[in-house]
Amino acid sequence: MQQSNAQPAYIEKTGNGTREDRVMKQVFLTPAVAVLLLLSIFPLFWSLGISFTDVQRGSAAATTTTDDGTVVEDSGFLGLGFHATLRNYARMPEDERLLTAARNTLFYVLAGVTIQYIIGFGLALVLHQPFRGRNIIRVIFLMPMMMTPVAVAYTGRMMFDTSIAPLAQLLRTISHTLGLERPLFIPWLTDGSVAPWTIVLIDSWQWIPFMTLILLAGMQAIPEDIYEAARVDGASSWQILRKITFPILLPISATVILIRGLEIFKIIDVIVVTTGGGPGSATESLTMYIFKTALTFGNYGYAAAISYILLILVIIFATIFLAAMRYLTPRTSG
Amino acid sequence: MKHRKWWHSLLLYTVVIVWSFIVLFPFYWLLTTSLKKPLAVARGPRYIPFVDFNPTTEHWQYLFDEQGETTLRHFRNSVIAASGSTVFSVLIGSMAGYGLSRFRYRWKFPPWRNNDIAFWIISQRFLPPALFVVPFLMIYSALGLVDTHAGLIIAYTMFNVPFAVWIMRDFFDNLPTDLEDSARVDGATRWQAFVRIVLPLSAPGLVSVAIFSFVFSWNEFLYALMLTNFDAITLPVFIAGQNNTRGVQWWYISALTLTAVAPVVLIGLLLERFITSGLIAGAVKG
Repeated sequence: MQQSNAQPAYIEKTGNGTREDRVMKQVFLTPAVAVLLLLSIFPLFWSLGISFTDVQRGSAAATTTTDDGTVVEDSGFLGLGFHATLRNYARMPEDERLLTAARNTLFYVLAGVTIQYIIGFGLALVLHQPFRGRNIIRVIFLMPMMMTPVAVAYTGRMMFDTSIAPLAQLLRTISHTLGLERPLFIPWLTDGSVAPWTIVLIDSWQWIPFMTLILLAGMQAIPEDIYEAARVDGASSWQILRKITFPILLPISATVILIRGLEIFKIIDVIVVTTGGGPGSATESLTMYIFKTALTFGNYGYAAAISYILLILVIIFATIFLAAMRYLTPRTSG
Repeated sequence: MKHRKWWHSLLLYTVVIVWSFIVLFPFYWLLTTSLKKPLAVARGPRYIPFVDFNPTTEHWQYLFDEQGETTLRHFRNSVIAASGSTVFSVLIGSMAGYGLSRFRYRWKFPPWRNNDIAFWIISQRFLPPALFVVPFLMIYSALGLVDTHAGLIIAYTMFNVPFAVWIMRDFFDNLPTDLEDSARVDGATRWQAFVRIVLPLSAPGLVSVAIFSFVFSWNEFLYALMLTNFDAITLPVFIAGQNNTRGVQWWYISALTLTAVAPVVLIGLLLERFITSGLIAGAVKG
């Protein structure tokens, strides 16, 4: 692995640099900063403002609904000039659908990273030895990751179909062979308590390889002599795994779990295609609910407010993990 | 290498074969389904062409002949949005990566140094896109950017730049400065040294960044769904829209799905090492 810890060679180490360098320094960084300020920071604050208004869809001349229910035509541009209200936040605790979506999202994140990490780690462990066809395996591992999640979702839906899928046939055959009275039947995507798991499985099919590839790279970066020394001391494979491999990989593990977790927080495409959020709203995620609130119901203010709830959840999740990473990273690296 | 215990090999190859099957079977299923007549799909699983069903290419003909114009339009939209944002992301990302790697920044407000700035930039990559649904909808409709290629390119560039900066900074940190220094001594300006010396040397990093930007934009769903209505609809949105129109036509969707994933899976097959190295740079150093 190309893991040099080279310190960056700053140009103006010795002084302030030439005038040209002082100009170029800004030229290099400014476009990226400008893009982020304009397209990320500005919309964020904008959205925060919107979340305290009753803005509905309807471009320039938007309408506001006042508290007594009358509709006021407002000529506010982009939502400017709307009355401030706390209603969007006040109604949240009573919004069952919001609570379901939040619970679902947390379930996807926790179940997803757990399944993907455990299986990904196991696969990496097994693949961490030279064998014939290793390069082909790496390519095979990449294939699901490259697919658009929409395609993954359709494929998953086909795989988990209860009549035409091979899996369903397998279950039928098993029940038949065992002579079961009631044939095994799993309502993969139509039952509110099964469907969330199926969605996690579909997401895992795509992303377990990601975990494996990164963890495998981490394992290969561990110097062989550490293992040698442990074996000389008579350590068993299990002890080596528990006392050496796993602890050394903890920082990388925290990173991949963080990355995957943050990605799963965004989940929408798989759900839209497989269940459409149903049955009822049993599989709806926060992102999907925000999207529907904004586009289907046209309630911009409320959608913006929910998106800030999502942001808070994401920040809590990330903070916990960054703290864990700092705690787990060996301090020798300075 | 020491001799492996026999059950180690057995375990290894079992896992390799089982996992390869899990990954590859859905692709096989997509391919065969796209060749089945509707009846062969509806009458339970059929596995092997010519054995338990008669393959037909009618769905592919429908996709590229009858529906050819529609298919092509969405395909073209995806290509334009993805390559446009790739160009900008690579350019902006490599510039900022170079700046953060070679110059020392001391911002007054906020009081950040290089590492803080880099962390702020990468943190933008992980903001949930749902946060931008409302502001983008409002700003885009005010600026007339809804359902345009430019609109998609702008949105995707915003998402790709952070990762591009992160990877390129890491790449430049590991790139010796000797060559650009001697170019400078020979009278090249900083910009000339960057364009003529540094960028060509950074080809592997640039390829990684380009692949990631392209694949991300190609696969993106939420923004495309929200910011396009008709003209600029990309493949993922088009595919997702096949859901309810005339019942689920698995044969047609299979062909369409394969068409949509073929370019990126091909990129994956051909440029595997750039992707793996980029992933590792992104995750291990992150």
